[in-house]
Amino acid sequence: MVKRKVRLSEILLNSSVFLSTALSALALGLIFFYVIREGTTLLNWELFTGNYHARNYIAELQDNQSQSYNMPDFSTSENVYPVDRFGIALEEDVDLAGNGVVRVYYVHPDSPFNQMISKEVGTEVVDLDVGMIFQRISYVDHPTSLSRGGAQKFATELNDPQREVYELFFSDLGGGIQGSIITTIYLIFMTIIIAVPFGVLTAIYFNEFAPSNWITKTMRSFIETLTGVPSIIYGLLGITVFVPLTVRFTPAVNSNLIAGALTLSVIILPTIIRTTEESLRVVPDDHRAASLALGANKTQTTFKVVLPQASPGIITATFLGIGRVIGESAALIFVLGAAIKDTVNIYEPSTSLAVHIWSMMTDEPANIALSSTIAILILAIVLVINVTVKIGVKLLTRKGM
Amino acid sequence: MKGTRTSLSQIDTIIGSLLMILALVASSFIVIIAAFITIRGILPFITDNSGLGSVNVLQFLTNTVWLRGTTFLSTAYGAGFIIINTLYIAFLTVLLSFPIGVLTALFIAKVAPRPIAATMRTIIELLASIPSIVFGLVGVGLFLPVIYNIARAMGYSSGGGSSVIATVFVLSLMSIPTITAVAEVSIRQVDESLEQASLALGASPTQTRFKITLLAAKSGIFSGAILAVGRSLGEATAVALVSGNARSGPSFGLFETTATITSTLLQGLKETNGIDYDIRFSLGILLMVVILTTNLALNFIKRKVGNVHG
Repeated sequence: MVKRKVRLSEILLNSSVFLSTALSALALGLIFFYVIREGTTLLNWELFTGNYHARNYIAELQDNQSQSYNMPDFSTSENVYPVDRFGIALEEDVDLAGNGVVRVYYVHPDSPFNQMISKEVGTEVVDLDVGMIFQRISYVDHPTSLSRGGAQKFATELNDPQREVYELFFSDLGGGIQGSIITTIYLIFMTIIIAVPFGVLTAIYFNEFAPSNWITKTMRSFIETLTGVPSIIYGLLGITVFVPLTVRFTPAVNSNLIAGALTLSVIILPTIIRTTEESLRVVPDDHRAASLALGANKTQTTFKVVLPQASPGIITATFLGIGRVIGESAALIFVLGAAIKDTVNIYEPSTSLAVHIWSMMTDEPANIALSSTIAILILAIVLVINVTVKIGVKLLTRKGM
Repeated sequence: MKGTRTSLSQIDTIIGSLLMILALVASSFIVIIAAFITIRGILPFITDNSGLGSVNVLQFLTNTVWLRGTTFLSTAYGAGFIIINTLYIAFLTVLLSFPIGVLTALFIAKVAPRPIAATMRTIIELLASIPSIVFGLVGVGLFLPVIYNIARAMGYSSGGGSSVIATVFVLSLMSIPTITAVAEVSIRQVDESLEQASLALGASPTQTRFKITLLAAKSGIFSGAILAVGRSLGEATAVALVSGNARSGPSFGLFETTATITSTLLQGLKETNGIDYDIRFSLGILLMVVILTTNLALNFIKRKVGNVHG
């Protein structure tokens, strides 16, 4: 009887272990599954190179003459409606927010739509590209075609030889993340350039030069405390210290990417110091003694003998820092705001990829599809960094043995 | 010869002091953070906030409604419910993630065969490296609809699923890898002779794991929990996306919308000056104080608990 009881409790305890492990694994699985399911539909090259804000065009045709074009056969493609009169084809599609749009599916090389005159400032020639979206087309003495009516009606009306095109309103798709990718790259470079030398030199001080007394101990514990500070607090540091500082000493007039990079540098500094110090510590003391015995001074020994051996650790630290920069959101929202930009300038604010997600998730309605696509990109980079760091650590431990 | 010697050691002294300056700057950041935030955060309490009157410290700490100053022409900022919400959510998060995290660590360290343990360890590392905004995104997309439907089926109304429980779930996902990683290290450090003695005395492997190994590793396990609490208290973007950002409280019901210190900090970012701007620094002070106090309290408990079994 007693034995049975024991066995039952053992089964319960053991299954609780397995259940917990399964839940932990499931958590990662769920995240990847969800992000990939929602995000892959938008994953294409244009997304990475395109602008976020759609550009609108108003134009008129140079000649309104109809002629016949040698068009490919669209009868097999669903929701595609050819306009034989002008050599284009339109497609019924849905945009990122889920609204129906009339998208350009095909433009014949000789089509008059390749040589339109812009009705905005100047007489710039504009052309219609595949993927662009028609808002409306107005005609002389005929009611305007609206995209709301659907692509089929739109195409039929445009094909009507009775109608003379007066004005065309169209836009490119928008929703690209080119600006945020560039911002993220800028932030990574600036942060690494500031934080890595700073962190490595500080680590050298602590490991090679610092006397072991209470001052060093206090300094160490102050730096260690930084790791427990939440990133949103660093955001407050950024707006009170780094933004005014950069406004004062650079052409920037408001929050800017340099202030963002400085804030991120403080965030990753403790990691870089700790990782570098760990790798300095495993350099055998014999090497230092040998170098000193050969007549080199401490500076030469440190920079020519010890530091090169710690390089895998420094590279690991750099990658960890890059990972943190890519993932950071709260601090950057404070320092840089959440306005998505297409042209990036280091003296102006713009969003990194993570803040781009925040910006879209706080929009009404939230753009989950594009957010998930960016999340896929972020996760892919983080994955690569993880593998690199693992290899770095492996190299480091091998050196240490 | 002697001349070179001295110049070489002079270089050492110069380089040494240059490096010390850098190290001093690095270690002064925490002081700069504390000083600047405190100075800015005190402003709403000691100035008259361009005619609105100063914020009462006691009311700030105890009131249960958060009114935005310039909008409501008042200084009735009550952060009392926000403090309670923040601690309540951190508590629930640990309640949920601690057992899961520790038992996963036990599995990796003691139960699983080597290849499976390695895979699980990689899974935990990956989970730890996912940025918080992605957790927020998954929380909004995956959890909120489910929670909304469950709440409706149970007759509760929840703001589109934004709720205490959604926040706790998201924070738990983020805490599990922290707890597991720290717990696994301390479980593996447990002296094997202890476990062997237990097995020799006739205890089963399961009994040994739960009664000897976990108990011997409890100090390290507790450290992991403290780290996880710190992370839950300070997490901002993911929480702001799923909490519902309530303006009053406290919210104890699992399906009620809520607000934490960090999520309130992220509200109303459009202001660039005035009381609505400065009050965020007051919340910053509050956040630091809450994190510091919680940490001290938990470390105190850890020392007490750790001493019982030596």
